[in-house]
Amino acid sequence: MNPVEARGISVHYGPRVILSEVDVSVRAGDWLALVGRNGCGKTTLLRVLAGLQRPRAGEVRLGGDDLRRLSRRSVARRLAVLPQAMPAVPGLTVRQLVRQGRYAVRGPLGMLRAGDDEAVRRALAETGVGAHADTPVDRLSGGERQRVRLALALAQDAPVLLLDEPTTYLDVRHQLEVLDLVTRLRAERGLTVVAVLHDLAQAARFADHVLALRDGRVHADGPATEVVDSDLLAEVFGVRGRVWHDSVTGRPTCVYDAVL
Amino acid sequence: MRKLAWLLLAVAAAALAQLVIGPAVGPVASVRALFGTADGTTARIVGGLRVPRVLVALAAGACLGLAGAVLQAVLRNPLAAPEVTGVGSGAVLGAVTATVFGAAGAPNVLAAAAVVGGTLGGGVLWLVAARTAAEPVRLAVLGVVVSAVLAGLSLVLLTARPQLAGAVARWLVGSLASRTWEHWHALWPWLIVVMSALALLGPALDLLAVDDDHVRGVGLAVGPWRVAALGAAVLAVATAVSAVGAMSFVGLLAPHAARLLVGAEHRVLLPAAAMSGAAAVAGADALAQAVNSLAGGQRMGVPAGAITAMVGAMVLVAVARRSSRSILRGCG
Repeated sequence: MNPVEARGISVHYGPRVILSEVDVSVRAGDWLALVGRNGCGKTTLLRVLAGLQRPRAGEVRLGGDDLRRLSRRSVARRLAVLPQAMPAVPGLTVRQLVRQGRYAVRGPLGMLRAGDDEAVRRALAETGVGAHADTPVDRLSGGERQRVRLALALAQDAPVLLLDEPTTYLDVRHQLEVLDLVTRLRAERGLTVVAVLHDLAQAARFADHVLALRDGRVHADGPATEVVDSDLLAEVFGVRGRVWHDSVTGRPTCVYDAVL
Repeated sequence: MRKLAWLLLAVAAAALAQLVIGPAVGPVASVRALFGTADGTTARIVGGLRVPRVLVALAAGACLGLAGAVLQAVLRNPLAAPEVTGVGSGAVLGAVTATVFGAAGAPNVLAAAAVVGGTLGGGVLWLVAARTAAEPVRLAVLGVVVSAVLAGLSLVLLTARPQLAGAVARWLVGSLASRTWEHWHALWPWLIVVMSALALLGPALDLLAVDDDHVRGVGLAVGPWRVAALGAAVLAVATAVSAVGAMSFVGLLAPHAARLLVGAEHRVLLPAAAMSGAAAVAGADALAQAVNSLAGGQRMGVPAGAITAMVGAMVLVAVARRSSRSILRGCG
């Protein structure tokens, strides 16, 4: 039973088709990257998988169970979402924000008890933000904030992690830091990861599988080593580029030469 | 926790000031009456007028502070407050309507009318502002407009019964004049209801203050919790308004004072906001009474609501001048 499985997902905004008949299946322990141009529907697809948006047609199954039949809390115990942006509440500290992730496990009454549990401490430690635990989130840098939000997602103790463009707004160093962190956490916690990534080279480098969307349809879906090639660059992103096997990482990598 | 103790001290100081300042009985005699060593008249004035007045001020202030904190969290807007959401002036309109139709002597009818009015007032803003609640300045401007219209309606109602001008003015501004045990008895059960509801809602408010996706993402349905929180806020405003009237700026500024002291988590923020509100209303009434006794006791003295409005406006201007970001931060 796959932890995340979607069949025939269609989403329309009025007459505009955002997603059309999209199938996704993610095996336990896999890292699937969703790629495509801006506006191709990849964020919408992630939101549908997370139950944050209802598709017009199609169904999402988490571990075989219909998402629509699951309560918010049982969805939150199966998957944690890291949204593209999250407003900072003035004065709220890192520890207080990360603790909110425990809602999924503790429930409304359990949250009334003060104090952290082991999961909060572990999430803070694993993401390396323990030193900032009592700092207000709105005083942190972009890279630190992203790690805090990762800690918040980890505090849910869910086996699946959905990431919506986790590297946007970050410089190269912090992008790598976040992706390395996700790679390490996946290994340590045995997580299943679905991430919207807009850099194809990063997707090919870090993810096992790549699903490329074009105009709301699945253009390609398969292992990164097979799917990522110069045709994909041309057809999905509209750029001419070169893709080759990088012997250092053992993964495909690419450079972009020109707009087509 | 230590900061909450300091706040409690501030509440006690404001309450004591309110208790000892006033006409007919001086400060020393009032304190003596508290310890049961005053003559009969003094004891009656303190026990029958001053003590309930203090209790009503504290309870109403607590309600306003709580309501402000809840509105700011749920609307994710640091400028949200009873007086800029239509809830406050709607509750005033409800209370004034009840008064004009002869219910001035029935606190529970007044409270019910204030609940209805507050809900309608908030509803009007919801319709007008439709989904722009999170844009602080826009909501504030629309809220002020809605509030002005509702206050205007209160004044129109007043023309039906000009002899009630004094009572209606008290509601529009906010006053503790002639609040007695009767008002306290009508007030405290609702304060308990509001506080128990909010004690349970605290963690949900922490989530709601971030954004809807976050609330859902960690496993909570947004709708019912938001409605519950807004309901508690309307109830708190109506409870306060039906007892003491508008009392501008308490609901807006008390949560900010609390946030500066104890941070943003509602488990601690809510009690701190309640205490800040209580101290503000009691302190404002003490100040009003001091002004009144200096001015030599006219028939209708300066109401506490005039003090909260003036001092509150000055505090808001000072804060805004020092840094417009501190009050609007995180709401770009």
